Amino acid sequence: MSDYTSDYTIVGKRMPRVDSRAKVMGKAKFTADLKLPGMLVGKIKRSPYAHARILNIDTSKAEALPGVKAIVTGKETKGVKWGVFAYTRDQQFIQIEKVRYIGDEVAGVAAVDEDTALKALDLIEVTYEELPPVFDPMEAMVSETELIHEDFPNNINVHVNIDTGNVDENFEKAYYIREDTYVAPEESYFQAEPYAVAARFDHEDCLEVWCPNGGPHMKSKPLSNAFKLPLHKVKVKKIAIGGAFGGRSEICPVDYICALLAKKTKRPVRIQFTREENTIATRQGHAMITTHKTGVDKDGRVLARETTCYMDGGAYSSTGPIATSVPFLSMEQAYRMESVRYNGYRIYTNKPIRGMIRTHGRGFACGLDTQLDMIADHLGIDPVEMRLRNSRQPGEYTSTKSYVDSCAMDETIHKAVEKSGFKEKWGKLPPYHGIGIGTNSVQTGFPMGIRGGSQSFIKFNEDGEATVMSGVVDNGQGNDNMLVQIAAEELGLLPEDIHLVSADTETTSSDPGSYSQVSTFVGGHAVKIAAQNCREKLFEVASKLLKVEPDKLAAKNRLIFVKDDPGSKRCKASKSIPIKKVVRISLLNFNSVNAEGGYWPKVDMKREWVKNPYGQMCEAFSFGTTIVEVKVDPDTGQVEVLEATAAQDVGYGINPLVLEGQFEGALTMGGQGGMLTEYHEWKDGRCINPTMLDYKLPLACDMPKINTIIVESIDPKGPYGAKEAGMSIAMSAAQGYSAAVSNAIGVYMDSFPLTPDKILAAIKGKKAQAEKKTSKNNAVN
Amino acid sequence: MRLPRFDYLGPETLDQTLDLLATHKDDAKILAGGTDLLVRMKKGLLKPKTLISLKALNELSYINKKDGCIKIGARTSIADIIASDLIQKKAKALFQACEKIGAITIQHDRGTIGGNILQDNRCHHYNQSDFHRSGRQACHKDGGKICYAREEADRCNSTCQSDGATALMTLNAKIILARKGGERTMDLADFYTTDGIMPFAMESHELLKEIIIPIGGAQSAYKRLAYRSAIDYPIVCAGVLLKLSDTQKNEIDDVRIVVGAMGRSPLFLAQASSSLKGKKLSDTVAFKRAADIAMDNASTFAVHNVGATLEYRCAMVSQMVFQALEQAALAARE
Repeated sequence: MSDYTSDYTIVGKRMPRVDSRAKVMGKAKFTADLKLPGMLVGKIKRSPYAHARILNIDTSKAEALPGVKAIVTGKETKGVKWGVFAYTRDQQFIQIEKVRYIGDEVAGVAAVDEDTALKALDLIEVTYEELPPVFDPMEAMVSETELIHEDFPNNINVHVNIDTGNVDENFEKAYYIREDTYVAPEESYFQAEPYAVAARFDHEDCLEVWCPNGGPHMKSKPLSNAFKLPLHKVKVKKIAIGGAFGGRSEICPVDYICALLAKKTKRPVRIQFTREENTIATRQGHAMITTHKTGVDKDGRVLARETTCYMDGGAYSSTGPIATSVPFLSMEQAYRMESVRYNGYRIYTNKPIRGMIRTHGRGFACGLDTQLDMIADHLGIDPVEMRLRNSRQPGEYTSTKSYVDSCAMDETIHKAVEKSGFKEKWGKLPPYHGIGIGTNSVQTGFPMGIRGGSQSFIKFNEDGEATVMSGVVDNGQGNDNMLVQIAAEELGLLPEDIHLVSADTETTSSDPGSYSQVSTFVGGHAVKIAAQNCREKLFEVASKLLKVEPDKLAAKNRLIFVKDDPGSKRCKASKSIPIKKVVRISLLNFNSVNAEGGYWPKVDMKREWVKNPYGQMCEAFSFGTTIVEVKVDPDTGQVEVLEATAAQDVGYGINPLVLEGQFEGALTMGGQGGMLTEYHEWKDGRCINPTMLDYKLPLACDMPKINTIIVESIDPKGPYGAKEAGMSIAMSAAQGYSAAVSNAIGVYMDSFPLTPDKILAAIKGKKAQAEKKTSKNNAVN
Repeated sequence: MRLPRFDYLGPETLDQTLDLLATHKDDAKILAGGTDLLVRMKKGLLKPKTLISLKALNELSYINKKDGCIKIGARTSIADIIASDLIQKKAKALFQACEKIGAITIQHDRGTIGGNILQDNRCHHYNQSDFHRSGRQACHKDGGKICYAREEADRCNSTCQSDGATALMTLNAKIILARKGGERTMDLADFYTTDGIMPFAMESHELLKEIIIPIGGAQSAYKRLAYRSAIDYPIVCAGVLLKLSDTQKNEIDDVRIVVGAMGRSPLFLAQASSSLKGKKLSDTVAFKRAADIAMDNASTFAVHNVGATLEYRCAMVSQMVFQALEQAALAARE
């Protein structure tokens, strides 16, 4: 069992994040704020064509422009291709033969100022031969035009096949079977901070890089490969980051271009994306067409499921194999199925590159839940009962053979149902007023091989304060605070006594990064172990001073004291000693006070996304339920969300204040935005709505009342029992929103997001059908 | 995105401003808040040599009642209009429209009513960056010969999405255009050309000085639809001005229906308006019919170029007009 106890002093408590003050006061420095001596401005020349061969690039006029310091093209990259996996290396950092989407990198410029850099871009003459583009994944598979990547027949980039066996047999046994197809277009992250990168080579020819990232070590390795530098010479530095959501998970070609410009000019270079570049030239969420076929017994239990998903992957692989799997994995974790067959196809198109996103597969997840509601409807079961009959239980294995230890899925359902009044409202709400439930699960980590674990170092300073080093990155979710809280708790210090050094490849050890919901579970765990080791050293010294065994000691509030001593509270002087004093005495006795600690999750290293998608995926899974109540205006199709209730099994709530913020943000992104307003429009491969004005992110004033419920299952392996926070809400919120709208209008929706035009069309369609029925009945009568 | 370089002039009086306009003419643009102009400049849609800022021109910031009219200085901020008791009571449609412009924290304080009326027409194929517009032929509004919103269109189909313009046209507003040595007054309705490229009948040396709203015994209402509750242009909007008969109780004497965000200018819909003459205030069937006529007539102007599907926007004309009619009727009854 875990070492869970309820008398922690620092963890489990609401505390404002250590980084909040600097951020709200505008003091935090983001990459775009960096000003390095002699820094040049970098800009990227991008392809204006969706698919074209590059015949020639003439940079001579641009180079002649006064103020231009360097221009780089694909010739200088020696054709090196990047890919997250060995089998997905399909993207050159600068294109040399052809371009595959509007926005593809063709050249980079460094100049003395932005005006000059922009002028230089215009002076670079690229001669293209346009090729027929393909924008629709279904067309791309049968298109006879030139393949987007010649090594990938039918433009199929990734095919994930999962089959537990017995699927066809179980369909035969099924009492009721449904097959439905659901669609959703691509979406964007709209991180508050548009992408930016700064790079320079220092006096020792080390490459220093600052940029938003999902893990600095995930940036340094590909840069070290590309520049043929040893890892210690690539220093990805810590910097404030304004959001990631999966969109900062891997190297960005521009990181390389920026570094190359810095190398060529021997000066620091900074490239700052426009909002449009952030939308089209970082990552987007996949558009998907998903068919779920589900067979149930007469009680509604899922016997067999077959899911086929076609994903529009855009021009390059990115995290393709992961992205093709996660929508399925989330659902196989959330729901039990006796048997399942999954075929996920990620298809290349001439559109921006798609990667991981917080609400992974909104059409996939909402489709599955909608279909469950339809089946429940058919069987006369209410949606809550339907979920309880199929929900994941602790101690089970998922379909792909991951053992699920802690799991409070049912508790999240019960608590959300109770808080929202679902039972009282279901079926009893007035017309066009609806309530819906969604449940989901996400994984706490992936098998990441050599980078799967995290290490931490802690050193005490002579003033009794501690420096904690960890590779964990905070890209907005509060990881820095999490690390500080854990260290303070274990060391017996106050949060302000901890100096955190994190997310810096020069000083901190490798870490899986913060894009697989693993930071607390692995990185936080490593800090906890390091702090415990460090505390042991303190206790050894203190035990001599207090004349008690080390195991009788505890640390709290900057003091080391004797545990379970009834007099220790009133009579501190005799039974306790300040940590500062212990540190100083230790140093005077020639003993340093520092320690290390690491954590490596026990996952199945043989598990691989495509070749072997079975085995232990990660050590823990989080579970979430969101219930949403809406009112639909039947005349305009507009949705007013009255209330949303989000409950998540987070394992243990290290900082409830941060968790609530995560839940609210998740609901905004997954539900209000993801299900009601956010989608991209295109014209011939051009993104029509790349900016915040045209892409309809919800505003604070659009948000409903949100109830947040933290459910704690105390995971035996997680630090204090903690798992993941927020992502199960983002996904279940999407499902809850769609279920509520469907319930309000009495039509099961199959195309997301649920924009007013679709809702109105569904209402009209239903009315027309009802009228037809009446007129038919009248005719019969 | 970056503002191109420009010279900045900050005249302190109207005369100075008109002098500057007479000198710089086409080279200059008026900066009256900048929430439309600066965004377009950042996208590289226009590169004026000179900006003449009205920031210091306090003499054009006023709302008063004179000669049976509300007179509003063109540089009056949106926030001041919303706060005006006179406008809330006597020009409700304008109040309702201004409430919905942009965001309270930005456009309401920075934005001006003159700027709102003179905001350029929009189109999601045109209001894009230089990069977006490269690699394809220029559209009509961008100096080319092609329309991306409607195939084979021989002219620009950009859409006027100004809330203020639709409301003011509903209210039968007049405007005063000043120039060095003179001024002219015209109906706002006549101010609009049907040209998406240059939607206003205005000379480059002229300045929008004042907006005049006649105060009659009529009630007005404004309704609009957007995706978000703020920072969003309308995808459809409608204004209604409803005057009761002096002799017949609860009978409509005259109605004026104007629909916005559907065409190159706010659309005064004569047929829909006149269909309600002599109808009872409670005649919702007539309201519905008028709303449907409005929809049919307005739909012919619209193209898919401001977000949401065209079909949806067209259908919503009827809704917005009907809701505005109901609201104005309710106010008239009170």
